[in-house]
Amino acid sequence: MAEKSIAPIYFAILGIITTAFGIADILVTAGAGGFSYGILEISCDMFRGGWGGIVVLSAGLFYLSGIRNFEDIHQFSKVVMGSILIWIISGCDIFAMITESIPGGEDGPWFNTLDGFLGTYAPPYAPAVLLLPFSLVAVYYICKRKSEEE
Amino acid sequence: MKLNVDQRWDLIDKISKETVTFGKYRHTLKDAIGELTIKPLTGIPVAIAVLYAFWSVFGSFAGTLCTDGFMVKLFDGHFLPWMQDVFPGAGGWLYYIIIGDPLADNSFEAFGMLTSGLFVAIGVVLPAIFIFFLMLALLEDMGYMPRLAVLIDTVLHKIGLHGYAIVPTILSLGCNVPGVTATRILETRKQRFIMMTLLAIFIPCGAQIGIMQEVIPDTMGWVLLYLITGYFIFGFILNKIIPGKSPEFLIDVPPYRKPMVSNVSKKVWARIAGFFKVAIPFVLLGCAVVNVLYLLGFVEWLGNILSPVFVGWFGVPSATVGPLIAAFLRKDLAVAQLSVIEMTPYQMITAVVLVSIYFPCVATFVMMLKEGAKELLGALAALVVVLFLYGGLIHLIGILLGVA
Repeated sequence: MAEKSIAPIYFAILGIITTAFGIADILVTAGAGGFSYGILEISCDMFRGGWGGIVVLSAGLFYLSGIRNFEDIHQFSKVVMGSILIWIISGCDIFAMITESIPGGEDGPWFNTLDGFLGTYAPPYAPAVLLLPFSLVAVYYICKRKSEEE
Repeated sequence: MKLNVDQRWDLIDKISKETVTFGKYRHTLKDAIGELTIKPLTGIPVAIAVLYAFWSVFGSFAGTLCTDGFMVKLFDGHFLPWMQDVFPGAGGWLYYIIIGDPLADNSFEAFGMLTSGLFVAIGVVLPAIFIFFLMLALLEDMGYMPRLAVLIDTVLHKIGLHGYAIVPTILSLGCNVPGVTATRILETRKQRFIMMTLLAIFIPCGAQIGIMQEVIPDTMGWVLLYLITGYFIFGFILNKIIPGKSPEFLIDVPPYRKPMVSNVSKKVWARIAGFFKVAIPFVLLGCAVVNVLYLLGFVEWLGNILSPVFVGWFGVPSATVGPLIAAFLRKDLAVAQLSVIEMTPYQMITAVVLVSIYFPCVATFVMMLKEGAKELLGALAALVVVLFLYGGLIHLIGILLGVA
């Protein structure tokens, strides 16, 4: 019972943070200047910051709209959809890192050095990548619901 | 054995008892997520996310990894210098056609049949086409495309089409040839004509998008914005002036499914094989034809004649005549050619939009002819009007913004 009441609170907090990140993404892009603080970096390019920001903002709104009556399958699906949107954006960011880390650069060797390869994965990260581990909690609830149904 | 009516009903009851399970249907998570992707309020953000993923993966794989990461290095660093060294007769006409400029240090500028031609076809377009068709096959097999069709149905009705028109539209983003064939899924002649005309004019193929990503990455968004806007404006006008019906559509939306590797690989291979057969010969031929026309002085002559139209009406340099000739053979080749002409960023945007809305490439042209000569002539008439009106309008917007 306690676990069930924790879930809406958890996703409400995650929803607020995700929405804030989405708005920050859009504002930073509109301001045309990048933002970096600690391990967080917000891109100012129209594609990742602007378009991606709209998707992160939508993910936040999905979380927030799904927390009420969390046990209902239609409400729960909104929370899952919020996580799916985060997975899409962070997956694309991680894929971009992978494709960047393999080649050796314009004047370098064919393949990247080990240091260069690992360096590509070092922080700072985009908001969606930081939200990724927290969004995976939805997987736990999907499995839990599945086992309860069975 | 002949059964009377009662016996038939008894048989039906017997079969249904053995095969049908009766009970109360409970919504699963998959059903609920499926519904979310169809309702406009929740489906539109999902569609925005899917399209984001599509272009992000496209750019990362084709641009960053394949072309910039390896192909540029291979062609500019090894293949081009080697070809320039081993091919005899530097400075001669045959050398100019096959290898291009002997002093060029990159494959875009060389513009020979075996240098730029192969670089464009193999180094830039092939990775772009591969990842595009892979992503498309995944979306199709997952069951997302019918949902996108339902989602976009209302918008497409405004231009005389319906949700299914998203299939030829998205296919054309890979290659216009299967896109034209896919217009057959539309029911009426009016719908097929509107769709064929719009995709021939406003939908850039995957090859062209791949090249645009490479040569104008910063301004590509503006080019696409102009094309999407034109797609809807002229679709709306065509819907008003073309007689005929635009019926509603009924679609069976399948559940989401895990794509099968064998199905996806078969689809991708079939489409890539089509690219090898159609596109590569036309790219090589396009380089050769344009080089011959340059050598004969035809491009310069035509440039001088059309200069008032190009410079005065469209606001682009008269040197863009050459790429427009190449555009009839391959649009990707034409964009590659534009990249070496000195222009302001806005002129470049205008020139790339003109290449897109100018005559469809010859392969699409032949495919449209197969669909009907009358339709082709109608589409070409619309195309000429659109080219002059829209080209002039883009120039006017540039003047008003102070960037032309």
